Amino acid sequence: MNMKKLTAFLLAATMTFSLAACGNPEVAGDSSAPAETAPAAETPAETPAETAPEQAEVPAEKQDVSLRIWGAEEDQAMLQGMIDAFAEHYADYANFSIELGVESESTAKDTVLTDIEAAADVYAFASDQLVDLVNAGALQSIDEMDGALQAYAGKSVADIKAANVDGAVEASTYNNTLYAFPMSADNGYFLFYDSSVLSADDVKSWDAMLTKAGEAGKKVGMTIASGWYNASFFYGAGFTTGLNADGTTAIDWNGTADVSGVEVTKGMLDIASNSAFLAVADGDISNQIASGQLCAAVSGTWDALAAQEAFGDGYAATKLPTFTAGGKEIQQAAVVGYKMVAVNAYSQNAGWAALLAEWITNEENQAIRFATREVGPSNKVVADSGEVAANVAIAALAEQSAYGVVQTVGGNFWDPTATFGEMIAQGSLVRDDDAAIQTALDTMVEGVSAAVQ
Amino acid sequence: MERVKTALGSFFGAIGGFFKKFGTAVAQGDIFVKLSLLWMGAGYCRRKQFIKAILITIFEVAVIAFTFGFALDYVSKFSTLGTVQQESVFNVMTMKNEFNDYDHSFLILLMSLVSFVVWIIFAVIYLNNVIHAFELQKLEESGKHINTFREDMREFLNRKFHITLLTLPVVGIIIFTVIPFFVLFLVAFTNYDQQHMPPSALFTWVGFRNFRDLFSSGGLTVTFGYAFVRVLAWTLIWAVFATFTTYIGGILLSLLINHKNTKLPRMWRTLFIITIAVPQFVSLLLVRNFFANNGIANTFCANIGLTGWLRDIGAISTSYIPFLSAPGWAHVMIVIINIWVGVPYQMLIATGVLMNIPTEQMESAKIDGATPRQIFVHITMPYVLFITGPSLVTDFVKNINNFNVIFLLTNGVFTTTNQLMANSQAKEVDLLVTWLYTLTQDYYNYKMASAIGIIVFLICAVFTLVSFNRLIQGDREEAYR
Repeated sequence: MNMKKLTAFLLAATMTFSLAACGNPEVAGDSSAPAETAPAAETPAETPAETAPEQAEVPAEKQDVSLRIWGAEEDQAMLQGMIDAFAEHYADYANFSIELGVESESTAKDTVLTDIEAAADVYAFASDQLVDLVNAGALQSIDEMDGALQAYAGKSVADIKAANVDGAVEASTYNNTLYAFPMSADNGYFLFYDSSVLSADDVKSWDAMLTKAGEAGKKVGMTIASGWYNASFFYGAGFTTGLNADGTTAIDWNGTADVSGVEVTKGMLDIASNSAFLAVADGDISNQIASGQLCAAVSGTWDALAAQEAFGDGYAATKLPTFTAGGKEIQQAAVVGYKMVAVNAYSQNAGWAALLAEWITNEENQAIRFATREVGPSNKVVADSGEVAANVAIAALAEQSAYGVVQTVGGNFWDPTATFGEMIAQGSLVRDDDAAIQTALDTMVEGVSAAVQ
Repeated sequence: MERVKTALGSFFGAIGGFFKKFGTAVAQGDIFVKLSLLWMGAGYCRRKQFIKAILITIFEVAVIAFTFGFALDYVSKFSTLGTVQQESVFNVMTMKNEFNDYDHSFLILLMSLVSFVVWIIFAVIYLNNVIHAFELQKLEESGKHINTFREDMREFLNRKFHITLLTLPVVGIIIFTVIPFFVLFLVAFTNYDQQHMPPSALFTWVGFRNFRDLFSSGGLTVTFGYAFVRVLAWTLIWAVFATFTTYIGGILLSLLINHKNTKLPRMWRTLFIITIAVPQFVSLLLVRNFFANNGIANTFCANIGLTGWLRDIGAISTSYIPFLSAPGWAHVMIVIINIWVGVPYQMLIATGVLMNIPTEQMESAKIDGATPRQIFVHITMPYVLFITGPSLVTDFVKNINNFNVIFLLTNGVFTTTNQLMANSQAKEVDLLVTWLYTLTQDYYNYKMASAIGIIVFLICAVFTLVSFNRLIQGDREEAYR
């Protein structure tokens, strides 16, 4: 083969691989997962599934169990410690090989749903992803694991429900089935403020807070172009959201609860049009706190450090203030979110995966999680402990949770409500034009409650 | 049109000829050629090409094994895409879930497609094999030399070198382009969405329902038609502006750098190439933060009083300039930022072209007293346009699908205040692809994504074919000279 031909051949080969870049990711992901789950069907001769838990005897010989678990990047070292303790605790029953991988709780759903069969056996996620995961059949029902939990961990599903705060259990339950073990209860928002500018009385209402902030030449920041934040005004006034059986979102914000939706919107417009109010883009609040122009901000525990640095000695946190709507002072509610650990429905070792998930969310490990990462616990005992109560941010969160709402909504909720908030932030709704506000509310409700394709 | 007809004619002519050859081979071939229909190595064996006989036999056995051991499991379910729903029962004794033998619709679809491709390739080789066996028979009858295996192999480096060259690229295209494209195509005719997501649920064929839904009233979302028209319009406006601004900008820039009065042309050129070296997403995200509502640009404008002045004249109603967060402002900003990102590439291309302009024409024009402007309009531009025409077409298509610039600049910054757009999860600055991304990413609506994907493909394919045909017609080059 002469040189010219060799070159031509190499060029052609190169071209192939550059064309390979056009590949469809959908296929790339799935083709690597052959239908290897099918053979699992051979049912062993005598395996009555409903074996009474008490009689579930531990098999004589030790099994080899390999599991994969996903956790957040910053939790890796802590999780490894918990895993090692788990393997040691159950060393009498099985030989474990547990592989720890990185997957953020906020993106777990997207990764899992790309290929459920290839996802980890155990993973953590935020409560708003539960519905989609259950609908895709990705989650193992924990209720079915009752027998395994009683036989090995010595506690029943009812015990686990009782050990965690009600909201966390509610958020982990869908269609009356528990689908995950509650892990933390800190995914909500409240008010950070600078006590050298604002007094504890000032932060009780938006009016007083904004007046005082304006006098001091500072601002109060909140994200309102997001249905997660701006729902707090509507929930406070007694409005609700929910999920219908057909997957559509139920929403009543264009009607009347304690006051009418129009009045609530007017109250929001009063706040947003105040020159001491800063409407912050979704996800930008940390930067705004750090910029130093704020004396108060609505955010969650993830910004505790930023607030501490910005406010220095004045760092304080409390529940959200009240706002005025329809002549009434209304306590602003908040969406409370949780994080939880679930078991993959396609896990090859579902039982041990459930025990691992239970282990890393049990009382001791929630205490460890709080001690190392200041994550607010969902376990009642840990939440009541002295150290937790002393944490400014988590104490404020606990205070707010009295006005907390678990937000269960479908995907159609987000864009229309974000747009509604942006209209308020930009002032494209006029305060005195009741008819226009009502139309905007109706259009938003229509978009949110639209059928899911 | 004529050319298309001739091309189609010769294509079908070739296929007809192929089958005719096969017919003749079967009819006139001896017993071994006919035996090749059953055992593919028969003809080769008879002509003493034993290595070839063994190889082709192995191939035949492999395809048969593939067919019965693997392909038929999937292809037999292709018409329904599976009927057995996944079910599992937890066994506390083994601590494992026990699954039934459930069907996985997507794997059935994919593996069936792979099987079809394998069978088509097999069919072509099979037919060819018989024709070849007949050729060998004729060679033998006329007493000509029959190649040994070694000689055959050498052919692949000489007379049949094109086959050697093209095998790898063709295999690559089939695996990485053709199969994924057909998967996309097939999914558009199923109900693969969030309610029917394998492995836990099955999906099945629905015919043209997705396309009907797409265009009939209502469509994908409450205000789908309203949003679709606006998104499509902006997509086309964007593609035109993005393509021509960077194109003209690139040519002007390279003319400027190549001008004889420009000092240090290499340095300037290098500087612009450095902007290419910085990954696009880094520069785009930085620019997005510069122009955010509370970003540096806004702080600066507020400090020098520009924001206040704009508010006084009523151009803005907010306390900041909505560079990337209001329609109109954002549209213009995106095009401008794209110029900055895209011009260096065009500059490089234009530099190459300008350096190769035949100088005789310019010189004779100068002697005839043409002004520099006349030279540019009547000589330089037509030449550059002629040379870069095809790349202009591909740029336009690329811009229709320019996900990066739009998504990175507006995601998380731009919130629409148009409620009808919001009810369709669309924004004024969305292109068809970014909208498609939101719809599928948030709703796992693969069936609709595939349907829209096919439509975007059709738009791009038709545009490319038509414009390439007009740009690169055979006689154009002559006309130019």
